Amino acid sequence: MSIEPGFEIPPWDMPSVSRARMRTMAAILRDPNPVHWDDELCNSLPLGTGKRTINQGPLGLSYMVNMLHEWAGPESIRRIYMTFPKIVLSEDAVTAKGIVTALNDDGTVECDIWLERDGEKLLEGKATVQLD
Amino acid sequence: MNLPEESAIKAIVGHQFPGGDYAIAHWENFLLTECTGAEALPDGLAHPVALFHVPILGAGTSIAEMFELGQATSEFSIGIESYDWEIYQPLKEELTYQISGKVLDAERCQHEDGRLYDRISFQFDLAHGGEAVARTTIIWHYNRGAR
Repeated sequence: MSIEPGFEIPPWDMPSVSRARMRTMAAILRDPNPVHWDDELCNSLPLGTGKRTINQGPLGLSYMVNMLHEWAGPESIRRIYMTFPKIVLSEDAVTAKGIVTALNDDGTVECDIWLERDGEKLLEGKATVQLD
Repeated sequence: MNLPEESAIKAIVGHQFPGGDYAIAHWENFLLTECTGAEALPDGLAHPVALFHVPILGAGTSIAEMFELGQATSEFSIGIESYDWEIYQPLKEELTYQISGKVLDAERCQHEDGRLYDRISFQFDLAHGGEAVARTTIIWHYNRGAR
């Protein structure tokens, strides 16, 4: 398969962001922030999330890692840079997407990557990926 | 609003965490990978999502301490600007990494709506056997409320 700038990376779907996984993640990360696991507290904050908890940033990022792994292999990522303009909530259906923007001389490619919910970009970043 | 002195925020630049070693246990990688919705990776590879907590814990600090260092008013006052993960070698389970970390930068900034925040950058380096494995940079916003 020939990869050129403009190539669309096969998307990766997370059909429903799980609050149970957020809790496991919080325990492993020693993350004290209750917005990831206390739905009553989320409901009491002026965040407009109701009882939905807020996904950890690294988990949202990981969906794009999974997309890149499925496309280019589990050792392919050389760099990943992510910004977090919007939050991801429990029960969200999100899709990781990406597009190749440039080819490098060393066999790596530059990509724009993002996470979408109903067409809205929640996370946006860039990745450098090694292709075989 | 509890607004720390700007000089106190700038004074943390260069702060070094104690540093230390960290090995990603199989159970830890299994659970982390499951949290991402992916299948386990082959050949003892660790999922790159470990590049968030492994540098922090391995450097001898914690998310809570990083909040305190920037004088966060609460957990809810922290916003993420960016995570930057440079990966020189794939991460592996059960391999002991040597990890160092520091406060790279800190500056007072202002949102377009006038709210103040302190933009604090942390940088961590992972190595194994004297070879660089990864470098991560975390930039958080410590929001200080209305001006």
